[in-house]
Formats: sequence, structure tokens, C-alpha cells
Amino acid sequence: MGLTQELPSDNVNTPIRKRVTDLDHAGGDTGAMQVFANLRDGNVVLDGPVGCHVMPAVAVINYTDSIPYLQNVTCSELSENEVTIAGTLGVLKEKVARANVEGKQVFIVSTPMSELIGAAWTTIDEGVKGTPLFFNAQSLDDDEWHARDRALLFLWQNRDHFVRPASAGLAPKPAGPSINIIGPTYGCFNSYSDIAEIKRLLAGIGAEINLVYPWDANSYDTTRLTDATATIVMYKEFGSSLAREVGLPTFSAPFGLEDTTTFIRDIAKTLGLEERAEAFISLEKKTTLAAWQDIWRSTHSDFFANSPIAIIAPPSYKDGLEKYLGDELGLPISYSAYRTGPESSPSEVVREALAEASPSPMLVFGSINERMILAQEKLPSRFYQASFPGAVVRRATGTPFVGYAGAVWLLQTVCEVLFDTLFANLPTSYAPPVQATKPTSEILRDAPLATADAGKGQNSVLTWTDGAKALADKTAKRVPFFVRVSVTKKLRSEAEALARARGTDVDESVIEEITAKYAPRR
Amino acid sequence: MCPAFGAIRNLLRMEDAMPIVISSGDGCMYGHTFVAHFYVANRPIFSPGVSSQMWAKGSVFDELKAMVVEMAEKYKPSLIPICSLCVSDTVGLPFELLPKQIGNTEIVYVPLPAYSVHTHARAKDIVVDSLVWRLPSQRKARSGVNLIGELFPSDPLKIDDVLRRIGTHVNTTVPGPRWEDYVAMVDGAVNAPLHPFYSESVKRMKMKQGLPFVEGAPVGIDGTYSWIKSIGEVLNLNAATVEAVAADERDKVRAAMADYPLNGLTFMVAGYEGHEFMLVRLLIEAGAKVPYLSTAVNTNPLARQEEAWLRERGCTVLYGANFDDEIGALQDHPYDCVIGTTPLCAHAKELGIPSIYYTNAMATRSQMFAEGAADILSLATSTYRSKERYHKIASFFSETGVPRQTATSWQPKIDLTEHLIVNDAFAPNVGA
Repeated sequence: MGLTQELPSDNVNTPIRKRVTDLDHAGGDTGAMQVFANLRDGNVVLDGPVGCHVMPAVAVINYTDSIPYLQNVTCSELSENEVTIAGTLGVLKEKVARANVEGKQVFIVSTPMSELIGAAWTTIDEGVKGTPLFFNAQSLDDDEWHARDRALLFLWQNRDHFVRPASAGLAPKPAGPSINIIGPTYGCFNSYSDIAEIKRLLAGIGAEINLVYPWDANSYDTTRLTDATATIVMYKEFGSSLAREVGLPTFSAPFGLEDTTTFIRDIAKTLGLEERAEAFISLEKKTTLAAWQDIWRSTHSDFFANSPIAIIAPPSYKDGLEKYLGDELGLPISYSAYRTGPESSPSEVVREALAEASPSPMLVFGSINERMILAQEKLPSRFYQASFPGAVVRRATGTPFVGYAGAVWLLQTVCEVLFDTLFANLPTSYAPPVQATKPTSEILRDAPLATADAGKGQNSVLTWTDGAKALADKTAKRVPFFVRVSVTKKLRSEAEALARARGTDVDESVIEEITAKYAPRR
Repeated sequence: MCPAFGAIRNLLRMEDAMPIVISSGDGCMYGHTFVAHFYVANRPIFSPGVSSQMWAKGSVFDELKAMVVEMAEKYKPSLIPICSLCVSDTVGLPFELLPKQIGNTEIVYVPLPAYSVHTHARAKDIVVDSLVWRLPSQRKARSGVNLIGELFPSDPLKIDDVLRRIGTHVNTTVPGPRWEDYVAMVDGAVNAPLHPFYSESVKRMKMKQGLPFVEGAPVGIDGTYSWIKSIGEVLNLNAATVEAVAADERDKVRAAMADYPLNGLTFMVAGYEGHEFMLVRLLIEAGAKVPYLSTAVNTNPLARQEEAWLRERGCTVLYGANFDDEIGALQDHPYDCVIGTTPLCAHAKELGIPSIYYTNAMATRSQMFAEGAADILSLATSTYRSKERYHKIASFFSETGVPRQTATSWQPKIDLTEHLIVNDAFAPNVGA
């Protein structure tokens, strides 16, 4: 299947697909909700049936962000009456009125259902500051990431609509050069760690943070974005449209040593903090990165060149991991793909690619979709989560993928998986040893003239047919180099045991039977 | 959770079904895929594409039809249910143009617009109802009991043991893992919906096949006794034997419960599939006070008997309760323990009240007969005993200003049961 894909319009990001299965992105309503609900003063009303509320704001959010439910999100709870006769405005008004309390900005977000019946929000107070705003999520066509981008832009376009309450006091102004961080929002994999690492790096070079948006912001802070000297856009998936409008020099979150060093130096240059930055970099080399250097100098890194990996993730992580693990550490990338956006690969393409990849990736970074593919296709690769969906908790701030700390964490993770793979393939066994039936002297006495017939099925030496040898070689080449020795040993011992039991040479059928046990597709 | 997932979940659990879900867009599809992976594990969901352009061109139906044919020919499952969610059910696809059978595969339309389904439980009812509608007519020779409900795996075996002692048996259990489990329903002599929400399905079986039904479940002291007695009456079994077995089982439950007294404790219970009615029975019989039972189940005839029992013992049932109702109820009494939905438990934990999530903790255990009662009550006991730990953690966090939703002007709902329109199909039906 080719990847030339048709987009429904310029305004959305998801290609038209005739069939859909195992998605790894949600729709526009989810993305927009996760932006608006992320604002401290944001109250979101989803205009849809109860499922369009409970699914993203209770079920999914509990697994992406480990939050039991979003307290500032409600729903018009459309029922048959609204869908077929009344329209959504009546029920919506009631919910909006409840959400529209002092100090809160209400955002009404459309869902596929309300879009289908053409519902919108119109009131006579339109244009009055601080009144509820309606956002058309284009949920039938847009994906969550692109909708986040549009929602952030929407906030900027409405920046003068938001009211700073008197209780909030005067807006703070940065004392010197400062920086904005745009993104993450709710529902971004590993973002709690990533944002912590970026903040750590900025603190290290003495850069003042103007605004983390929308993560640590109120809607009325939107106008303050222009107070900064520069902007960091955390993820490629969203935020760059807003950054463009704000119009400051823009940086993106760095992956790996080289990228991070460049990132620090470039920001320092823009903010006039070069001296602090150099001091910080050398301190990091002695502290955070000491671990990196030690692991790198160890034998751990000897295996990298022979440990292929696959990466299936949204653009930031896919590109970032490829750059760091592939280019910088030298792990061969046997397959990589985006699962969202215009260039994304559908699930069936990924399935086929992973099943056919040779050598098999030792480690697959992905979402639960890839994990399922590995299980269903009985592929031997290890799995590490690098994307949603998937039930995983990423709330501790010690697991970054970005920055120096991210480089260390990823390096450590890859090594651990290497060890784990090795362990899983070691021919260890709790079975008791085969029992001795006779003393050495008798073994010698009973042995026929073994040497004369070595390799001809005599004594303990079994014959391998040429076909069997070729097949065994082929099998060994399909497993990662790192475990090839162990696998070959295992294959040999099991094949010979089977041949012995059958009383035949080791032929192709024997090898086939053994390999089928471990990888039926092969 | 989207109500429709109740249905999708049951269909995904069938070994010989390949459901097609016509999603309402990527958000809908993502959510359902997510929960399908999490709750059912390892089963993908398939949908035709549903972009606005495909709707406009009418190509969603063409693709659906092609998918049905392809999947039937390639995988030959017993069943391809077509789950039609909000958008497609509103647009109105011509499902009657789909083949009813391809080879041995039945293609069944399951309407699941969440805006009119409302609850998980109702969606499950719709699935069973849709499948029951496809069944052939009842055969003349009928015997045994059709169990209907989400049961603990060993429940049907335990029930069968008891039924055999009174001269009948379990005929089949639905929702089951195979289409043949549903087909077997036509041979049963009585339907036993073991928790009160499969009302449409039961009604359909009554109307289409003339099959009577028995309310309630063998849970708790009274419940166990009266359920066994009801089965005996409906099937005209030997009254003396039935009475002896019912009394024996009741005494065993009473003995098992004696180890877990809950006197003087107040519980709040919120659930959504009707098991919660029985759970509250157990708690009350063990001596606890349960002022409110909050349930996502709507008022329905199958719950009348349970509700009457609970009301006599000071428990108000909040049907179709929403979160605000639950929070309100939570602040109405000093509670010792909460067994409820995720948001309710999260809130209770903020207040330092020991809580457990209903689905994870309760719905994964048997409640039936003596063993079930002991199991449930021991869990409830160990939960309320950890009050000290919950209180410590809540105190630690109370200074951080964790946002807390507070109830404003909450009032218990009007008791809708009074206004129930009783359908003739539900009239007690003894000795069919």
C-alpha cells in the first residue's frame, strides 16, 4: 500500500481512509478539549452525546495522564430529542450557564454528532469579553494533533476576548530576556518528564520562563506570549502555528547529546546567556552526563551496531529517537513510521513491515498497537512504550526523552532491554541435568570407532542434512545479532533432541518443527 | 465510557464474532480502540472510514458492504455484528440492503447511537436483543434455565449444582462466547436475568418465544431463598424439594455472612450494571446502613422487586444517576466506605473516605450463594478498615489546594418508579 494519501481539505490533517483499525490518534474534539481544559481557568463543555464526554475526559484521560477524570469538562449530553428535533442549543445553554462561573472562561467544543446536525453556539452576547467561546473541532475529519494546533491558534486569535480578573493582580513582566514554552497539553505521551527536563535546562542556563502555555497558564495570559524573547515549541505535532503568530525566534525540544547542546547554545545566544550556558554544559558533563559517558565507555555500547530497532510514533518522538538512537548511538533502524498526520502509515502497513523486517528489530518503540502486532504475529522483538495509546503511567518526572537527562534515560533503557533480551534467550533451565547412566570407562568401552565415522550419525554426533543447515542459517539470520549465538545453540540442541527421538538425521522437517514453535510465520 | 462500548465489549468477547463498528470519527474510534485493548485485550476494531467526504459521497455504505463480504469470506465467523454508532445511525444507512447471511455467517445490525442508548447496560441489552431477534423459533421441548447477565465464570456452575438439586439445570448463559450460546436460548424453559437490565431482551424472548422470566439472583440471605423458590414455582418443580434446598442455601449464606458484621457502618454504593442492587443487599444484611444506591441503570421492570426490598430497609435508589447526584449523596451522610465509579471514588479519596472502584473490585467477584457473600463482605471489611491510611493521605494533600468539585443544591431525585408504565409483557408469568 502506497502512502500517497488524500486530505479532505487544507484545514485538516488526517488522510481519508476507506477503512480504519487500531488508531493511535484521537479526533479533533479530543485534541481541542485537551488544550482548553489544560488552561487553569478553562471550563470545557463538549457539545455531544454522553460518550463523547466520558470516553475522552474519563476513560482515556485516566490512562494517558493517570487523572481519574477531568473536573473542568462537562457535556451537553445530547439525547434523541436534541438530535432529531430540538437541536443542541437548549441543553447546551443550561450546561454552559453552569460552567460559566466567576473567573472561568468557557469553551464549547463541537463533536462529530453536533457537527453532523450542524449545531453551533450563537448568543446575543457574542463579542462581549469573557463570554463563552465556540470552537469547531471538525472532528469528523481532523486528528487530535492538528486540532490542538488549531485550538492554540484560536486562543491567540481571541486573546483580547479573555478577561484578567482583578484578583489576579497586575500581569507579571519578565525582568530580562525570557522564553515561552508552547505545549504540552493533556494527552501527550511522557510530557510530564519532558517539560520538567526542558525547565531544568532553562534554569541551568539562567533563562527566565515567561509562560508555559497552555500547561501553566490562564486564558488571559495569552497576550503575555509576546513579552518573551523566544519560544520553544515542545512537539512538532502542534504549536508551531501559534509560535509563528507570536513571531519570536522559535526552537524545538532537542533529542540526544548533540541536538541538546545546539539547543542550549542557540537559546543562550538569543537570550544573551552564552557564558552561563557554557558553564552549565561543562557542569552537566560532570554530573547528569557522567552516567552517559560511563555507559558509553562500557561494553554495553559494543552491541549497539548489531541491535536493530524499530520506531513507530508521532513525528517528534519518531524523528527524535531516530536521530539520537540511530545517528548518534548507531543502532540500526530496521523500520520506522509515523502513525499520525498526512504521511502516516495505517496499522496494516505497520503490521506487514514489522513481520517482514529482517533482521527482526530487537526492540520496538511504539504504542499498544505495535505491542499487539508483536504478540499476534509472534515476533521475538521486545517492546518499549513511546507513544499513546496504551495503559502506562508516565507521571513521574524522571523518564524524559528530550534533553540531556532524556539522552541518559534512553541510553539506560536501551541497555536494559539488551540485557533483558539476552536473558530471555539464554539456554537457562530449571530442569535437572540428564542423569549419568554409566561411568566414563564404560562410555569409552561402548563407543564405536567414533572418529572414523564422525558426522555420520554415530555416537553423540548427529548428521545435519544440507537443507537443514541452510534452513538453520536462514533462521539464525532473522534474529537480532545480539542473540544469534543463544538462538543457534537452542536451535541445535532442540533439533538434535528431536532428531534423536525420531531416530533420523537432522533434516529440514526437524528444523521447521522447532522454528515453528517459536515463530509460526517463518 | 461511551455507552456503546458496553455492546462492543460483549461482542469482542465472542470467539466467533467479528464486529464492524461504524465509528463517529477518529476520536470515537480511538476511544473505543483504547478501551477495547484495555478491557478486552488484543482484539482490533474495524471501521469503514467516516470522513465528511465519504459521508457526502455515500461511500461509507459501499465500503461497509465490501468489508462485510470480504470478512465473511475470509474469516467465516458465525457472526458479523454491524455496530452503528451516533453519526451513522443518525445519517441512516440502508442496513436492510446488507445480506442477512453469507455462507454460515449471520450479519446482524446492532443500533448503538449513544445519544439514545445512554448507558453501558442498555447497550448490552441491545446486543442481546438484536441477537435474540435473529433466533429461530422456540422448539417444543423446553427445559432448563437461560441465565442472562455478566456472571463470574464459576457462577453458572454453582447455579447448575443447586438447580440440579431441585430438578432442573442451566440451559445456557448469555452473553456467551459463541453464537451457539444464544441459539441455545430457544430450548430453555425460563429466562433468568440475574441483574436488572436485560429488560428489552427478556421482553423480546417473552413476546417472540413466549418464554417466562424470573427476577432477582441468588445473592444474600433473602435473595438466595426467594430466587430458588421462584425458579421452582415457574417450572412447577416439587415444592417440598425446592423449599428444602432454598432453606439450606439460605442458611449457608447466613452462616458465611456471620463472620463479617458491618453493624454501625455507613456505605455509599454506585454502580452501573445492576449488580450493585445485590451488593447493597449483602451490605444491608450484614448490618450496614446504605442510604443511597446510585445506579446508571434506568428504572425498569426487572428492578422493581429489588428496589422494593431495598426501600423497605432505608435505601433510596437513584436511577440513571449522574455524577452530580453521586457527589451530592456523598455529602449527605458521614460515610465509612464508598464502593463506586472512578470519579466518585477519586472524590471520596480526596475526602479521606476508603473507596474502591466498583468494576475492578466488585464486578470481578462472585456475589452468589455463601461463597460469594463471604468474598464480597471480606473485601468490604478490609476496605473500610484502611480508613486510617486514607485519612492520613487526604490530610497530607489538603494543604495543596487540590481542585475539588463541590455540590451546590443537590436534592434526591423524584422516585420515578412510581410513574413506571408497566408493560403487559412484564406481568408475572407463572407456570408457562
